[in-house]
Amino acid sequence: MTEEGGNGSRSDGPLIRIEDLWKTYAMGPVEVHALRGMNLTIERNAYIAIVGPSGSGKSTLMNLIGCLDTPTRGRYFLDGRLVSERDEDELAGIRNRQVGFVFQTFHLLARFDALHNVELPLIYRGMPVEERRGRALEALRAVELGDRVHHRPNELSGGQRQRVAIARALVTRPSLLLADEPTGNLDTATSLEIMDLFDRLHASGNTIVLVTHERDIAARARRIVALRDGVVERDEPTAAPPAPAS
Amino acid sequence: MNALEAVRIALRSLVANPLRSFLTLLGVILGITSIVAVVSVINGLNLYVAEKLSDLGPGVFVVSRIGIVPNREDFLEALRKNKPLRLADAAAIRERCPLASVVASEVHANAEVAYRDRSVERVDVGGIDAEILRIEPYDLEVGRFLTPEEVDRSASVAFLGWEVADKLFPQLDPRGKRVRVLGRSFEVVGVAQKRGSVFGHSRDNFVKIPITTYQKMFGSRRSLNVSVKAPEEAALEPAMDQVRAVLRARHHLPYAAKDDFGIVSAEGINDLWRNLTRILFTVAVFVVGLSLVVGGIVIMNIMLVAVIERTAEIGLRKAVGARPRDIRLQFLIESVTLSCAGGFLGVGLAFAIAASLRAFTPLPAAFPLWAPLLAVALCTTVGVFFGLQPAAKAASLDPIEALRAE
Repeated sequence: MTEEGGNGSRSDGPLIRIEDLWKTYAMGPVEVHALRGMNLTIERNAYIAIVGPSGSGKSTLMNLIGCLDTPTRGRYFLDGRLVSERDEDELAGIRNRQVGFVFQTFHLLARFDALHNVELPLIYRGMPVEERRGRALEALRAVELGDRVHHRPNELSGGQRQRVAIARALVTRPSLLLADEPTGNLDTATSLEIMDLFDRLHASGNTIVLVTHERDIAARARRIVALRDGVVERDEPTAAPPAPAS
Repeated sequence: MNALEAVRIALRSLVANPLRSFLTLLGVILGITSIVAVVSVINGLNLYVAEKLSDLGPGVFVVSRIGIVPNREDFLEALRKNKPLRLADAAAIRERCPLASVVASEVHANAEVAYRDRSVERVDVGGIDAEILRIEPYDLEVGRFLTPEEVDRSASVAFLGWEVADKLFPQLDPRGKRVRVLGRSFEVVGVAQKRGSVFGHSRDNFVKIPITTYQKMFGSRRSLNVSVKAPEEAALEPAMDQVRAVLRARHHLPYAAKDDFGIVSAEGINDLWRNLTRILFTVAVFVVGLSLVVGGIVIMNIMLVAVIERTAEIGLRKAVGARPRDIRLQFLIESVTLSCAGGFLGVGLAFAIAASLRAFTPLPAAFPLWAPLLAVALCTTVGVFFGLQPAAKAASLDPIEALRAE
């Protein structure tokens, strides 16, 4: 399932095109601009790290890219489709098909085993049980957890939990893997293991957007976008792309 | 399959903490238990009354001194004003009411009945004429009933209820034996089949003797009950009117005066019974409604807590593509599952109560098969109604905020 970049070869243009994007929050009488006219383009099969100090608009941008939020102004095209003016149900559908989320705290459902956690997005797609079990198993094998299918999160190590979460993100064959500090809760060795996994996923065609404040994690990407005060401060390829681990 | 999962989640959290679950569902359990128990008792009583009324067949009514009186004042007034009914009244009805196709008189007293050294206290001694057989036939265990000829000549013969015969003649054939009633000796001619009891009151504890003989022993001052049968059910009302006219004329009642006698028909008893059960039912519905509302509020509270506890889960579900309606449905199913779990416990409890009522009290209770369906319907309603607000709250959570809750 990882050999293709997922569902989204809808058009030949860039996967993500962001034009003059604004996000403004009202904090009482004061308006706070989290994004101030941001422009950003992300190609298919990109491997990009978004970095910046807190308050730079990282999280806001990630939420917008992930279709969890809508911008105050500006346009956002995902896979050639304008998604900045969709309603809640449509956004849920787009998240379900196009975006695979990976969170710092994993966000696994503690009551359920790995298999159910991974098949969850497919349930909301209305996929028949046989098919979605098969896909979930396949995704778990792709992250080398084929032997932990019926373990619950509390029976797994931190690295294993994050790999279950990555399998959950991959199971829908999304256009985009969106990882928010994916190694923030992991020790160094496990972080490397997870980053190696991202390298492999990138190599097999996935588009990966990484939000992080760790320099060495960001350095694993092919391109680093640094934000400051709601705009892109720097946008450059990494000096020496590291060789894939496998 | 998503629904099934929601049901599983709800059941799992119920089982995980039995005491808390029990307390949570107490209101619903009590509500359902009481409605099903009350329904069972009413249902049982209905069956009973229907059976009892079938003794008083259609087209039959009973004229008596008092009748069925709804309150104490009327009862005291009736006691003061109403005249006893006499054999002459029965004769007048027989003669002058063409629609009274059968007229039977009966009069009752309590007395001791004895055979040699055995005796039975407080037996219902009924003085009857043989016409009663055409209204309330007795099934025979042995022997025969009293004959019209025996009534005419005030013979000293007796027809025993099953229980009296059983107590006086545990081993013997009672036919031809002589029993004593108030010092007078009667020859037993037959025994009725067992008829069972109503509300713990035996219907087999009687002795029937000719009404003529009865009046020689007890005097003729005691009022009679006169059973009248119309030729067909449709003629019941006109027959009652004829009887009423005849008796009012005999008693010289002025036009505006109330009847100084009572008339009771199966219809009348039925009406009275329906009124009674309606009251009982109204009270039950009120109690049940109250406990279901309380139970529903507790469930709503638990569901609101669950929404807060599981905010991060809701955020995650939304992130991977759950629409607001998916979340709403999940929480609604959970609250309905909770509520229905309480309902099933309530039905079980009510079933046990109905069974023990039947076993240990004279109250007949019949558990109707539609009761579980009623319970499920009620609980689903409660679950949906009180689950709506928590479910709406869960559905409207902002996924970004919710994901941050962990």
